[in-house]
Amino acid sequence: MSASTHSPVLKHHFDNLEQQHSAERLGMWMFLATEVLFFSGLFVAYTVYRYLYPADFEFASSHLILWIAGLNTGLLITSSLTMTFAIRAAQLGDRPALLRHLLATAALGSAFMGFKAYEYATDVEEKYVPGPMFQAEYDRAVEELTHAPKDHAESHPHNPAWDLAARNLGKTYGDPGFISPQRVQLFLCFYYVMTGIHGIHILVGIGCILWLVQQTYAGKIPPENYSTVEVVSLYWHLVDMIWLFLMPLLYLAGAGMKSH
Amino acid sequence: MSKPDHNKPDDPPTMHDVDKPATLFAVYLVVLGLAVANIMLSVAGLHNLALPVQLGIGTVQAVLVAWYWMHLRRGDQVVTLSAVTSLFFVFIFYVLVLSDVLTRWRGGL
Repeated sequence: MSASTHSPVLKHHFDNLEQQHSAERLGMWMFLATEVLFFSGLFVAYTVYRYLYPADFEFASSHLILWIAGLNTGLLITSSLTMTFAIRAAQLGDRPALLRHLLATAALGSAFMGFKAYEYATDVEEKYVPGPMFQAEYDRAVEELTHAPKDHAESHPHNPAWDLAARNLGKTYGDPGFISPQRVQLFLCFYYVMTGIHGIHILVGIGCILWLVQQTYAGKIPPENYSTVEVVSLYWHLVDMIWLFLMPLLYLAGAGMKSH
Repeated sequence: MSKPDHNKPDDPPTMHDVDKPATLFAVYLVVLGLAVANIMLSVAGLHNLALPVQLGIGTVQAVLVAWYWMHLRRGDQVVTLSAVTSLFFVFIFYVLVLSDVLTRWRGGL
């Protein structure tokens, strides 16, 4: 009698479930290795530029919204915990608990994206976006502050471009303490690309978790098929892990300068 | 009640494979606590130590997540090998790039 008759979840090309689970885990780990290499390119580039322009990066970082980063870190770590409990529930064949933990993970991931969207919206409102938006605001601030009476400087709009213009007032490029607006925009490029790509990964993860919810409803995740949940959890944990490095690099670089 | 036979490859997972809730919660509290410590230390001002301390804390958090929640502690050797290999390539990536950037003050490579 062939091994494929032992379990309905056993794929025909595997000898047994243990071999199938090992192959699934290894396949996901190989994919995660490529993800690590993909993100490491961004991390290396960020490291180089932060080394070259430390003061500019610290200033730029100090104008990101730290409380959202802290809250999002808590949400992601908690979602990793609920995802691990989902594996446990799948192993024990506890379908209600599995559904509960999967839905909690998806909800926490969605809350992360909600706060991220609010943060992006605030950044856009403050014109803290690399390119013409930030540069035009900075140039306008320099123009107005240069020709304004001294006490007028206190009543300027409180956004990063104006703060930078006020800080650079009376200094030119190369002077000690001068923060380059171009380098601030370079930091912002890293910020949007890294958090944007990470956000796309979160959305993909939420999609996979909702697929697991559908599979669980359909009764396709019996205890011997728990590795399906485990494979998705590996991806989710990696996305969480990447955030544990993104958060300090982007948000804590300038935390000592000014808390938002 | 007889103990489940762990030798049959088609059996569902046994309690041997299932995480203990206490362990999962302990890891959660440590990882969360480290995140809070990272933020508080940074706000207090770490100056030149900021980057190594922040990345050091991040690394400890990542190791805990990988070891306990991603089950590297009971993973196949080939899984551990693939995880370590990816880190090795990251290491090479950093070394090659930084060996150029960090030596430019004396003319670079």
